[in-house]
Amino acid sequence: MKNSRLKAGMIAGLAALSLTLAACSGSSDTASTGSASEDGGSLKLWHYESANGAMGIAWDKAIEIFKTEHPGVTVDFERKAFEQIQQNGGMIISSDEGPDIMEYNKGNATAGLLASQGLLTDLSAEATARGWDTTLPSSLQTTAKYDERGVMGSGNWYGVPNYGEYVMVYYNKDVFAANGIEVPTTLDEFTAAMDTLVAAGTTPICMAGAEYPAGQLAYQLALTKADRSFVDDYQLYKNPVDFQADPLKYGAETFDQWVKKGYISQESASLKAEDMGTGFIGGKCAMIVSGSWWYGRFSEEITGFDWGTFLFPGTKLSLGSSGNLWVVPEASKNKELAYDFIDITMSPEVQELLGNSGGIPVAADPAKITDPKNQELIANFNKVTAADGLAFYPDWPVPGYYDVLVSGYQSLINQSKSPAEVLDQISGPYQEGVDAIQAG
Amino acid sequence: MSDIAQVADAGVTERSGAKATVRGGHGAPAAERGRTNKSVGFSSRPYWLYLIPGGLLFVVVILGPLVYNVYLSLTKWSGVGQPKFIGFDNYLKLLSDSVFWESFKNSVAMIIAMVVIPTLIGLLLASVLFDYLGKRFGGSSVSVLRAVFYLPQVLPVVVAGIVWGWILRPDGAFNAFLDAIGLQGFTRDWLGDPNTALPMVMLVMVWVQIGYPVVIFMSALQRVDPEIYEAAEIDGAGYWARFRAITIPQIKPETFVVALTCTIAALKVFGPIYALTRGGPENATNVPSYFAYFTFFKKLNVGYGAAIATVLTLIIVLVAVAIMRWQANSEKKEAA
Amino acid sequence: MSIPAVDRTGPTETVATTISAAQRRADERASRSRDRFHRGTARWVVLIAVAAAALLMLVPFILMLLNAFKSPADYSTNGPLSWPTEFYTKGLVTYWNQVNYPEKLWNSTVIAGTVAVAAVLISLLNAYAIGVGRVKGRLWIVALFLLGNMIPQEALVYPLYFFAKEVGLYNTKLVVIIIFTVIQSAFGTYLLASVLGTFPKALLEAAALDGATRWQILWKIVFPIVRPTLSVLLIFFFIWTWNEFFIPLVMLIDNATQTIPVALASLQGDRLMDAPTTNAGALISLIPAVIFFFIFQRTLTRGVTAGAVK
Repeated sequence: MKNSRLKAGMIAGLAALSLTLAACSGSSDTASTGSASEDGGSLKLWHYESANGAMGIAWDKAIEIFKTEHPGVTVDFERKAFEQIQQNGGMIISSDEGPDIMEYNKGNATAGLLASQGLLTDLSAEATARGWDTTLPSSLQTTAKYDERGVMGSGNWYGVPNYGEYVMVYYNKDVFAANGIEVPTTLDEFTAAMDTLVAAGTTPICMAGAEYPAGQLAYQLALTKADRSFVDDYQLYKNPVDFQADPLKYGAETFDQWVKKGYISQESASLKAEDMGTGFIGGKCAMIVSGSWWYGRFSEEITGFDWGTFLFPGTKLSLGSSGNLWVVPEASKNKELAYDFIDITMSPEVQELLGNSGGIPVAADPAKITDPKNQELIANFNKVTAADGLAFYPDWPVPGYYDVLVSGYQSLINQSKSPAEVLDQISGPYQEGVDAIQAG
Repeated sequence: MSDIAQVADAGVTERSGAKATVRGGHGAPAAERGRTNKSVGFSSRPYWLYLIPGGLLFVVVILGPLVYNVYLSLTKWSGVGQPKFIGFDNYLKLLSDSVFWESFKNSVAMIIAMVVIPTLIGLLLASVLFDYLGKRFGGSSVSVLRAVFYLPQVLPVVVAGIVWGWILRPDGAFNAFLDAIGLQGFTRDWLGDPNTALPMVMLVMVWVQIGYPVVIFMSALQRVDPEIYEAAEIDGAGYWARFRAITIPQIKPETFVVALTCTIAALKVFGPIYALTRGGPENATNVPSYFAYFTFFKKLNVGYGAAIATVLTLIIVLVAVAIMRWQANSEKKEAA
Repeated sequence: MSIPAVDRTGPTETVATTISAAQRRADERASRSRDRFHRGTARWVVLIAVAAAALLMLVPFILMLLNAFKSPADYSTNGPLSWPTEFYTKGLVTYWNQVNYPEKLWNSTVIAGTVAVAAVLISLLNAYAIGVGRVKGRLWIVALFLLGNMIPQEALVYPLYFFAKEVGLYNTKLVVIIIFTVIQSAFGTYLLASVLGTFPKALLEAAALDGATRWQILWKIVFPIVRPTLSVLLIFFFIWTWNEFFIPLVMLIDNATQTIPVALASLQGDRLMDAPTTNAGALISLIPAVIFFFIFQRTLTRGVTAGAVK
């Protein structure tokens, strides 16, 4: 009796195995032949924005429009995990299992790298033909173009952004009112406001030492003493950057002072950006200095108090850039359809929807934005781009620099290193990386 | 190695003749047991044929990639495009890379947290659950307790990272607990302070790892004859004396299995570090495997990452072989 | 029939003709002992201590439960330690539909299940040759197989990607199954080889004298006796493969082939994450693994090592 049970078990196991084999080859077949359907083709489209975010909503609409304009075409849309695309993007595009069009991160280490290896389609011709080069503000075109080394700013078009992002100060209006603070317009006013808050026992700024916010704040502080040429040097390697000199020195030292004065809690060293965000939502601090990517979530989740935003005072420059790019892999099987889709995402209808859903469109008529808070968000962004003030992000220049910055600024929050030591620590990897890139 | 003969050797044969019928036949001298190459059965296919399916898969999935990895370690490559051959440059760089060698210090901490402590606690817990509570409260309560201790092993490591983040945050559950019991002075940023981050990660690792030894040791205890214990009890041995003199030697084979596999896991550990601290703060919890991952996928320096992985593998192999040698010697001594 | 240790957790298999005198004596002793063991307060103290320790182990899971059904606004405002203000299931339902959770559940089950069975099979075959067959150089062969366990996965990823692309298996469940079968069978080979290394010679010789081939000996003699060990391996392999994240992330590109850990990753964006839904998703993914564990843990009582002799 036991023997037959064993045999049955083994047979079942082998059957399962063979079923799996059949099932698996089936799924991969459909994946690779999906684009070969006879009646008009298909568009395999991937992105990783959440469905209820501004981009998700706008792009769902774009897909709808695409379907009405191309009746015979199936849109094979899959929402991906950011981690998967970020880590394995190169591998995916180098195979024929990749999509026809996808969202990809802007920057030298991501889109630039793939472009330099010939994995992305050159979109320059389409950009001129379809007018993207006029619709898109020129300061946002920096991240759309990459040269043969994969450095942004010049060269061919390899991606098209639909939205923008930038860093600003979110503040708790109720706390400001309770302490008689006005929205600061200079750095001195800002510092004075924070002194008032410290005296009243409120944490001025929620911070997250374990992720990007610390490095971003330090960079923003440096930008108050910088100009466009510094950004070009730092991000585009136009000239060598001296970390022990202003503006970077100013940024680190000021950050350090802010920790000492209690503007930034020393307990934020291990906090993640998520903790910082929920801290603000929970009313634990008066302000955070972070990006427009929080906007939608704050709109939805903050119910206990009134809140607003203002540009970081004291400078025309702000962290920020275009949003992620639509790229067309070189291996794409339906490039024309991909271009059509990009065109649709740049159309007024989709751009307005993006703006009205809490995002920052690149080419929408401000008059068509209905909600005043959204208007303010978009207006501030336009102000920065008009002044050519987008300074990108501090971790962009060198691959892997993100962790270097996190480590460095964590030391400042922990007060375990001096600003000079931290600057020294973060300059080495920067220099190595830039040397490697320039060596080609 | 787990061994029925050891049960026989422990004197059971003497106590109940009936048991010796089958096991007694195994009382063959050690030399014969360990050495012979003679196989049972004459006209059947040679034994090495059975190694073919496993061997083939091994070559394709492990050996091939390992060789390719060594090749990559001799190149400079960003993960896309063509690798560029640069000889041993990566290894030279690795020799002087202090971050890498320092991360091995943290590996020692991981070994303590994933091998030493869980094995000791696991042994004790398994014994208490099986020998003590099992007899007094019956099997089902023991099964439930065992499942609870094993549960952390079933949880995806990313989620464990999120939840432990909630516990160890400055405003998290642990500090709230310390406040509640009046130890406010001890509250701090557990994962943000370079001095406490590593011990806290070790704590989480113990939590994750404990279930594995408990499960294995409890199964091992199953095969120890209770008559030995009872004989010892009759002879006047207390619980601890019995534990040391009987339990520990009896389940030595499983102890080696646990030690070896947990040590390999400790040297390779990546997931929890990624989820909890990303190697920080200030490299306080950086481990070789995380450093390799970071080099591969964040710095896009695949060649250097491959060199790191090769050296790491080599070290793991050396440690593993040492433990296996120790195990083999210990069994030889036992059998002698 | 198991070694005469009192097995109260599973059905007591009685083979009438072979209950030895020892077994009867053990039963008598057991019934006498039961009285002795079931008295006294010391046992309750120990039980409570162990139960308290178990409860401590559960604290993270309690936190998960607390947050799995919380609305995002509630979670952000009141923090993860607070009791939810309402029982919120919308996030989970949206997520369930968005990632097509049943499909992911199926993929995970197929992969983990197939790997468990296949790895056990391969381990058995390997261990048979090494432990029973005593092929030359077996210590090194075991060490070599164990290499599969010793190599960090980052080192394997790029080569495996190229190999999978070459044979057209990139983006299939099959390649993931093959990879994990090899990795898990490393451990299985090591464990089973030790167990079979001390298999009672008498049985093998007796069968050989009866004219059995090695294949028959494997399935008729060895397999039934090491079944408990195989069950243990089955459980471990299933659970280990269930939670694997890194290699499926690399190999499974289409949403249709992805497993639960990869699907959970989609809740974590570049800069934002959805913690309550991640918890809910993780809790659900725990259930099959835990069920699997409970079903098979009865066999854990029969021991890792070869226990029964017929």
